[in-house]
Amino acid sequence: MRWSFSLLFTALLGAVSAKSFTGGRLLVVLENAAEQEKYSVFLGDLTGRGFHVTVESPKSSSLSLFKHGERAYDHVVLLPAKSKGLGPALTANNILDFMKKEGNVLLALSSEQATPTALQSLLLELDIHIPSDKSALVVDHFNYDSTSAEEKHDVLLLPFPKALKSDVKNYFSGEGVIAVPRAVGQTLGNQSPLIAPILRAPSTAYSYSPKDEADIVEDPFAVGGQLNLVSAVQALNSARLTVVGSSEILQTAWFSEKATLNGKAVTTANRAFAEKLTSWTFKEAGVLKVGKLVHYLDEGASKASNTSSAIPENNPGIYRVKNDVAFTVEISEYSNSHLIPFVPPKGDSVQLEFSMLSPFHRINLTPLSQTANATVFGTTFKTPDQHGIFNFHIKYNRPFLTNIEEKKQVTVRHFAHDEWPRSWQISGAWVWIGGIWVTVAGWLAFVALWLYSSPAEKTAKKTQ
Amino acid sequence: MKLLLSFLPSLLLSSVAVVSAASSWSFEDATVTVQPKGAGIGAAAKEKLDPIASLPKSVSLGATDTLKLLLTTTDGKKAKRPHQAFLTLTEPVTGLEESFVLSVKDSGKGKVDLGQKDLPHQFLTSSKPIQASIVIGSFGASEPYKSKVFDLNVSRDENVPLAIPEKPVRYAAGDEIHHIFKEEPRSPPSVISLVFVAAVIAALPVLLGAWATLGANVSHLGKALGNAPVSHALFYGSILAMEGIFFLYYTSWNLFQTLPAAGVVGLVAFLSGSRALTEVQERRLAGLR
Repeated sequence: MRWSFSLLFTALLGAVSAKSFTGGRLLVVLENAAEQEKYSVFLGDLTGRGFHVTVESPKSSSLSLFKHGERAYDHVVLLPAKSKGLGPALTANNILDFMKKEGNVLLALSSEQATPTALQSLLLELDIHIPSDKSALVVDHFNYDSTSAEEKHDVLLLPFPKALKSDVKNYFSGEGVIAVPRAVGQTLGNQSPLIAPILRAPSTAYSYSPKDEADIVEDPFAVGGQLNLVSAVQALNSARLTVVGSSEILQTAWFSEKATLNGKAVTTANRAFAEKLTSWTFKEAGVLKVGKLVHYLDEGASKASNTSSAIPENNPGIYRVKNDVAFTVEISEYSNSHLIPFVPPKGDSVQLEFSMLSPFHRINLTPLSQTANATVFGTTFKTPDQHGIFNFHIKYNRPFLTNIEEKKQVTVRHFAHDEWPRSWQISGAWVWIGGIWVTVAGWLAFVALWLYSSPAEKTAKKTQ
Repeated sequence: MKLLLSFLPSLLLSSVAVVSAASSWSFEDATVTVQPKGAGIGAAAKEKLDPIASLPKSVSLGATDTLKLLLTTTDGKKAKRPHQAFLTLTEPVTGLEESFVLSVKDSGKGKVDLGQKDLPHQFLTSSKPIQASIVIGSFGASEPYKSKVFDLNVSRDENVPLAIPEKPVRYAAGDEIHHIFKEEPRSPPSVISLVFVAAVIAALPVLLGAWATLGANVSHLGKALGNAPVSHALFYGSILAMEGIFFLYYTSWNLFQTLPAAGVVGLVAFLSGSRALTEVQERRLAGLR
């Protein structure tokens, strides 16, 4: 409902058809025209992908993320600026409010300019930590570009990131090497499932402060894989924020630059990586949508022969205990311009919970079929032998995928008095049924004798 | 095999060092010492480390021991202080890494002390030996050094409880849950039921037989039908019908079908019964019963 509205909204705006699922209004915050020139290819690529790009300086008085209390833009790119503050329009609270209204943010840091306090407190709020020393940067003596950083080793050349875990989809894969010049490393808090690393530093990399630790690193901010060069947050409302440790990744100068890694000549593939980053952050990828959700009484084999009985009602409000229930749901994934069938990564599956307070069933859904733009997932199960108000509950929260939560409430009732098995179907009851009918026969015989018996002739009179 | 594998990277590294003319980082005079708490200097187990080959036997670190690593970093052949000198521990199962910074003097002499309290809990509970490697690197053209130098066996004091923090929440598929249904009511084997059914049914002929030996008969049937044919037929018929109604109620009828029928049959039984029983009384008064 919401997305169709936003689609309608963008259509009404007459904007170029944006490829993003949530809209194409993009705000780029950077300091001046000279800075803009450095990112010309990056911004050109975004425009080419259908984004309606607005470039503003943080000092501009007309800059505001909101208009009439609603988001004025769908996405924001914050590029580093020389000025210390970002102004009243871009406080940490404003950016968080923007995310609360499902706006997406791409935040680029730079070790050459101090991170503004607004962004520092924003990152702290999200449990992403950056070195307190403003000039701290990441170096690696093993994977550096010996063309541009022969002495300083602060331009890292890294392969595209692998999947976070085997059961998580990788939206950032690619061919080639990524140049990460003079990056601000981040460490992520361990408690929240909402934060995820996108690009980790190699195991020999470390972050140091060139001012205090020029001779030898003594107390590095973080080392190896615990140091992230690009990390991401996806809030519960699926608003996304990506922290890029080095804004130079996005600059034209590094988009396809000749570099040397361990004596081998390579060409950087930053343009492809920047596209992957923006398309994920701005919801061109990794967006899930739930389509038709159907549950019905699965009369199955028992009634299959009797086809004249009506097709079972879809989504009834009531079931009985121990009913066989079939459940299907369509899930689509948005991929750049259209919806495609969603295929969960290997080892992962969409799960259905049938729950009253706590789940009674949690079942992996199997993909039954595919339509043009959705996968139909389904399962059948038996309602528990407990009556009450239950929910069909699908909650699919995974890293890098928008959150799905669907709930359908149904009543589960007792057996009615005439739904139990009849007594003759229970072999243990045969003795008692036999006893009853023998008693009946005996009674009829007794009545007949009492009415029609003549006295015994030979012997003395006996009671009958 | 494992030993060979652990040799391989260092062999490769040494071959690289031979090929490239540029100087490369390494170390010399390296010793690793495990010092038990309270014991004298002599009690410590001391092993010499080789930059090219990993130590053949693993170093074990007890609960209160301190591991001391001493080395001199070299660039080419000269002792020199690097920018980066780490002792990196790698948990082989999960790939978790933790680096400890060596404090290196200007002369290139470096050291690091390590106790069990410095290690993350994953290392303490690891089932496989932890791989310890030394990383030496610095700015400029000199080739950095990284190689596994020994295996570390962490032997924990089982009596001391280990505070393992609760696993943080991560989004992933949960375990499947299948409701456990209450057990279905069970019946005994139907053979046993059938035996007892047979016994119950056999009781009827036994009863009839017993009555017969006691002289029961129906020889007044003709007399009774002759005296009051309609009443007797209706009375006995209504009793039969009532049982039929009960049978129908048991198999298919509901209460609203049963009650009117039972009412009609009951009325018939009452009216015809008073006549029929009058006839029986007449027979009794006549001395025929």
